[in-house]
Amino acid sequence: MAARLKLIFIVLFLTLLGGGVAAYKHVRYGIPLLAGDKPSEWLVEAKVTFVAVGQPVTAKLALPTAKVGQDTGIDARSAGYSFVVDTDANKERVAIWSADSKEENQALYYRVRFPASGVESAGPLAPEGEAPEPVDPGLTGTLRDAGISVVRRVKELSSSPDTVFFGIFREITAIEASQEVALLKNEYERQAGPRGVVQLGIDLLNMAGVPARVAYGLRLEEVRGAQDPAYFVEYFDGVYWKIRNPDDPTTAPSQREFFIWNRGGDALLEVSDGGENSKVVFTSARVEIPLERLTDLRDSGILVATIFGLPASEQQIFKFVVLIPIGAFVVVLLRNIVGLATLGTFMPVLIALSLLEMTNVWDGLIMFVVIIAAGLWFRFLLSRLNLLVVPRVAACVVIVTLLMMLLSVVSFHLGMREGLKITLFPMIILAWTIERMSLIWEEEGKRSAMLQVGGSLLVAVVAFFFMKERQIRYWAFYFPELLLVLLAGIILIGRYTGYRLSELMRFKNFQSA
Amino acid sequence: MKRWWHRWFRTPAELRAMGVVGINMRNGRFVLPNNPRRLYDLVDNKVRTKGLAEERGISVPKTYGVVANPGDVLRFEKMVEGYDSFVVKPVRGSGGKGVLVIAGREDGMYVKPSGARLSPAEVRHHLQNILAGLFSLGGKRDQALVEYKVMPDPTMMSISFQGAPDIRVVLFHGYPVLAMLRASTRESDGRSNLHQGAIGVGVDITTGVTVHAVHHGRSVDRHPDMKVPVIGVHVPEWDRILDIAVTCHEMTGLGYLGVDLMIDQNQGPIMIEVNARPGLAIQMANGVGLLKRLEPIAERHRAFPGDDRPTKIAFSKNSFAAKSPA
Repeated sequence: MAARLKLIFIVLFLTLLGGGVAAYKHVRYGIPLLAGDKPSEWLVEAKVTFVAVGQPVTAKLALPTAKVGQDTGIDARSAGYSFVVDTDANKERVAIWSADSKEENQALYYRVRFPASGVESAGPLAPEGEAPEPVDPGLTGTLRDAGISVVRRVKELSSSPDTVFFGIFREITAIEASQEVALLKNEYERQAGPRGVVQLGIDLLNMAGVPARVAYGLRLEEVRGAQDPAYFVEYFDGVYWKIRNPDDPTTAPSQREFFIWNRGGDALLEVSDGGENSKVVFTSARVEIPLERLTDLRDSGILVATIFGLPASEQQIFKFVVLIPIGAFVVVLLRNIVGLATLGTFMPVLIALSLLEMTNVWDGLIMFVVIIAAGLWFRFLLSRLNLLVVPRVAACVVIVTLLMMLLSVVSFHLGMREGLKITLFPMIILAWTIERMSLIWEEEGKRSAMLQVGGSLLVAVVAFFFMKERQIRYWAFYFPELLLVLLAGIILIGRYTGYRLSELMRFKNFQSA
Repeated sequence: MKRWWHRWFRTPAELRAMGVVGINMRNGRFVLPNNPRRLYDLVDNKVRTKGLAEERGISVPKTYGVVANPGDVLRFEKMVEGYDSFVVKPVRGSGGKGVLVIAGREDGMYVKPSGARLSPAEVRHHLQNILAGLFSLGGKRDQALVEYKVMPDPTMMSISFQGAPDIRVVLFHGYPVLAMLRASTRESDGRSNLHQGAIGVGVDITTGVTVHAVHHGRSVDRHPDMKVPVIGVHVPEWDRILDIAVTCHEMTGLGYLGVDLMIDQNQGPIMIEVNARPGLAIQMANGVGLLKRLEPIAERHRAFPGDDRPTKIAFSKNSFAAKSPA
C-alpha cells in the first residue's frame, strides 16, 4: 500500500505542478490556453555570424524596407556591441553593430514579425528619383563575347524588359543549355557559388539594356534549423522594379511562400576587417501568441519560459524536441494498453518525426514501405553471401541510400515533389529495421514480421497525427510544463496491470478445463 | 455459456473471472517485484546457469565447448569432433532464437532434424552471427554454446513431429504453478514455440499426466499431424522434474520463473534453461488462469515463508490437482 500511496502522491504532485504553472501563465500573463484564438504570426530572424580577430569590428546588415514589425531585440546590445539602425546613401535601412575588440565566434540577431498571411515584400517598387540605368557588368574576352551572343539571340525574339527577362532566364535554366550559357554559368558558379546563376542573369539583363540587381529573401516555412538567404532577381521594366524568383520566373514570388528581406542591390552583409568568415542565415518560425505576452513571459523568471529568450533558430529546434515526449507517450499507450507489437520500442517515434517534415504523410508512408520492401529483397540476396552482421547492416545502409536516391528521382518525375524529402528518414534506423525484420522473417515467419512492421507503422502514423495536431504542438511549446502531466500519465500507465486490448482477442478461445 | 462476442474477444471481466494473467499483470505484479534485476544474468547467461545447476547436481546437457571469440570459430570443428549430433545456441539468447540443432552428419555436411544440410562454412557463419550479438538481448556481443543434443525419450517423441518436446514448469516463490509440454508439429518445423504452430499440452502438477492441449489457441485432443491422442500421456519421472524445477528456483533466487527441461532416454530429465519472464501461453495449454494458482501460493508464502522443497511440492500437488484427468 505504501508503494501505491507514493505513486498517487507523485502523480498528483506532477499533475499539480505542471497544471499549476500552466494555469499561472494563463492567468497572470494571459497566454491563451487554446491555439487558434488569433492567427499566428511569422517571426523571421537573421543571424549574423563571424569570427572576430581582436580588432575593432563593424557588421552592417541590410534591413527590410517593408512595413513589418521590427524587433531589435535585447540580443543586439547584450552581446557588448553598440547598435544603430542607419539609412544609407540609397535610402536603405541598415543595421550596424560595432565593437572595439572581440574574439572568437560572434553571433548577432535581428528579428522582424508579420502576419501569417505574409507581407507584400515582392511587389512592384517605383524607383527613387530618376529612372535607373543599366550598369555594364564589365565582362571581358570570351565571356563578353558569349554574353553578347546570348543577349543578341534573346533580343531577336523580344524587346520589352519583361520578355527579355523571360528570354534570358529561359536560356539560363534550360536543361540543354547553349554553349555560351554553359561557359558563362561555369565561370559564374565558380566565382559566386549558388548565387552565380542569379548574378549571371542580372549581368546579362544589364548587358541587354535592362537595369537589374539582386534581392535577398527567404522561404517562409517551419523547418528545423536555419536557411541560407535565397537570391532573387530584381529588374526595371521601365516604370517599376519587379522581383522574380529565378527558379520560377513567370510570376512574382508569393507573399505566402517568400519574404524578401532586402531589395536594392546592395550587399546583404558587410563585416569590416575585424571579422572573418562572415555569414548570414535566416530562421522563420510561426509564433502563436502576441508579442507583448511573449515578452512578458520571457522576462517573468519562470524557468521554463526562459526558452523564449533564446534566438529563434534555437527555439525552432525545441519546437521539435518537445514533440518527442508526445510520440513516446503514444508508443506507451499503444504498446501497453492496446498491445500493438512494434519493431524496436521507439523506432515509430523516429518515423513519425520524419513524417512530420513531409506535407503529405501518405506519400511518406508509401516511400517507407517501398524502401523496406526493396531493402528486404536486397537483404535476402545479401544473406547468401554470408556477411558478418555489422558489414551486412552497413551494406543495407548503402542500399537504402541508393534506393532513396532512385525513389527521389522517380517520384520527382511522377510529379511528387515530396519524394525529395525522403532523405529525412533516419537511414540507419531504416537499415536496422530491414535487418531485424529479415531476422524475424526467418525465425518467426513472415506473418510475425509483417505484424511487427505493420504495428510500427500504425504507431508511427498515430504518433504523427498527435504530433501534427496544432493544439498539441501549441501546448507542448508554449506550456512545456504540461509535459509533467504527460509524465504523470506515463507513470500511471506504467503501473497498469490490467489486460491489453490485444489480449482480449488473444485469449478469446480460453476455456477453463 | 457461449456468447456472440466470444468469436472475436473476451471481456476483461470474463478473463478476470477465469484468472487469466495478462502481460502487464505478469510484469507488474509477478516479475518486477520478485525478480531483482541483478539476478537476471544468472539465467540470461546459459553458461552460468549450467554451472549453478551442476553444483546442485541437476543434469544439464554436456558442454562440448564455448565459442567466445572469432578465433574460436575456426576451432569449432575440433570441439564437435567425435559427436554426431549437437546443439549450438547463443549464451545470452532468448525464446529459442539462434538455436541450431544438428542431428547428424553426411559427407562432411551437417544435417538438421528437418533433413536440411549445412556446410561447415554455413555453421561457422551462424557462429559469427551469434558472436556479433544478433540473437542476444539488446544486440550485445555474445558467445556461442556448443552442447549435447538430447536423445528424447520415446514416450515424448511419440507425440511430437520431428523436434524433441520440452517441458516447462512455472514456479512462484518456488511452488510449482503450472506445467506444460510443448510438442512440435510439421508447421512449427521442429521448434516448440506455440505461436509458430507447436502444440501446448497442459500437464497435471499432481500426477504428471497431460490433461488439456491447444494448437493455435484452440483446444485439441490429438496431434494435428500424427493424429495420436496427446491427452492422458504420462510424463516420465515427473517427481524428478518437479524437484529439478524447485531446485532451479533455489539456486537462482528468482521469485517468478519458468524452467525448461527435456527428457533424455538415458539421463532422464535434463534442465535446458531458466526463464525469468515465462510466457502466458501456459494458461491456454492448461485451461487454467495463472491467477487461480498464483494467489493461493502468495497466501501460503506469506503464511509459511520457510517451506522447504518437499513441502512446496506437496503443497502444489495437493492444491492444484487437475479437476478431471481425461
